[in-house]
Amino acid sequence: MNTPLVRVLYIDDEENNLNAFKASFRRQYEIYTAISAADGLKILENISIHVILADQKMPGITGVEFFKSITYSFPDPVRILLTGYTDIEALADAINHGDIYRYITKPWNDLELHNSIKNAYDAYKAKIDLRNKVAELEKTNDELNRFIYSISHELRAPLVSVMGIVNLVKMESLFHSSGEYWGLIETCSNKLDYYIQKTLQYYKNNKTISEHSSIDFHKLIRELIDLYSYSDKETDFHVKIDQTEPFYGDSFRIEVILGNLISNAIKYQKEDATDKRVDIVISVNQAEAEISISDNGMGILNEHLEKIFTQFFKSKVNHGSGLGLFIVKEALNKIDGNIAVSSNIAEGTTFKITIPNVK
Amino acid sequence: MLSKKKTVLLIDDNEVDLKINSKIIEISNLFEEIVLCQSAEAGLTYIHQNMADELRLPDFILLDIQMPDMDGFDFLKQFNKLPTRFTDKCLVAILSSTLDFGDIQRAQANPFVIKLLKKPLFAKELKDLLFQYAV
Repeated sequence: MNTPLVRVLYIDDEENNLNAFKASFRRQYEIYTAISAADGLKILENISIHVILADQKMPGITGVEFFKSITYSFPDPVRILLTGYTDIEALADAINHGDIYRYITKPWNDLELHNSIKNAYDAYKAKIDLRNKVAELEKTNDELNRFIYSISHELRAPLVSVMGIVNLVKMESLFHSSGEYWGLIETCSNKLDYYIQKTLQYYKNNKTISEHSSIDFHKLIRELIDLYSYSDKETDFHVKIDQTEPFYGDSFRIEVILGNLISNAIKYQKEDATDKRVDIVISVNQAEAEISISDNGMGILNEHLEKIFTQFFKSKVNHGSGLGLFIVKEALNKIDGNIAVSSNIAEGTTFKITIPNVK
Repeated sequence: MLSKKKTVLLIDDNEVDLKINSKIIEISNLFEEIVLCQSAEAGLTYIHQNMADELRLPDFILLDIQMPDMDGFDFLKQFNKLPTRFTDKCLVAILSSTLDFGDIQRAQANPFVIKLLKKPLFAKELKDLLFQYAV
């Protein structure tokens, strides 16, 4: 294995020590020596050094003081302090202020020093690797964010155009002109759009930092019902909201949570029922908002109740992506909310959630 | 108001969407005149050129957000600089396929934007909006 040459800078006011060091290690390392702290600094400014050894007792400045002086200008090289005394104060100072990796007493033992330098280089490498990995992750993260943004625009825009064309075909009474083909195109487009929206919600929930704003549940629920009952006018909504206190929370996630639950309540109605009904009850106090959303729809089988919040769990009635409730749960986790569900096949399903009021 | 023909200006870099949306407006008879511009710059140029011609100035603008060079928000900044005798009378709605939370909030916060309509455009939604604002 071709190990890279370790660049070592040794600063000591005694020329003999510098020469002895060079003699012992010149085959193992790329060695730079400096007879004073000022000379050492010059080398640091020009060469990317991995490991710095400095003598503690130098005229004008101690090794620890030197290390302290380069804390911000040269944070990367790993520091080793050499000293002829077992000076407990210097040792404490070195550990507390100098960010020193090893403390070695003079005269040094070649093998011990060699091992220390080797370990110091490993520590240097680990530090740099970690930094590179962080930079790499930041870049990936950034790319993912841009990817998500571009899904919400570039990928979705042509799909929305297709939906617009279908809409136009309906307006021109051509929808039934080609058998069921237009209907199939419409179903597929809607399904694809649904998947794109859910995927985006999932990633955005994972990535977005919570931002708190004031939430008016009257307004929010009205908007969500308008949005989701657009395609289904048969369901009767009964809304009871008791909000006299101001409520602060993460409006993006709360919208995602309530939106998914309301759209589910509409979607999983009994197909032939004539009394489709959804009850939304919200009460807000200083500590939290309690929200209950009940439908008289098809209900959830008891053995399925535990699984509904897992990713890609789908009911047999094949409407969903298996993402809606999973996203609800994930979003609630992010804002310290809770959800409980009760359901039976005869009466329908009730979701109860609580969301803390963060103020 | 009744004597004047109602004009809508559609600004969208997507040619297909321009075609679809103008057709939807045409079929639903919501405006007499439909002006199509494929960029925010072209939209501004149209307005500037017809500043003296009350008849050709739009009463309503449907504006896309994501467009190359000058986007919808840039357009609104320039719109703000136009004479108030025009901007007071001309309403602007955003028509976009965006799902970006930031874009949606920014659009809704803009004082000129009366509503953010999501693509695909539904004639009924537009009709309700126009009715609400008595365009």
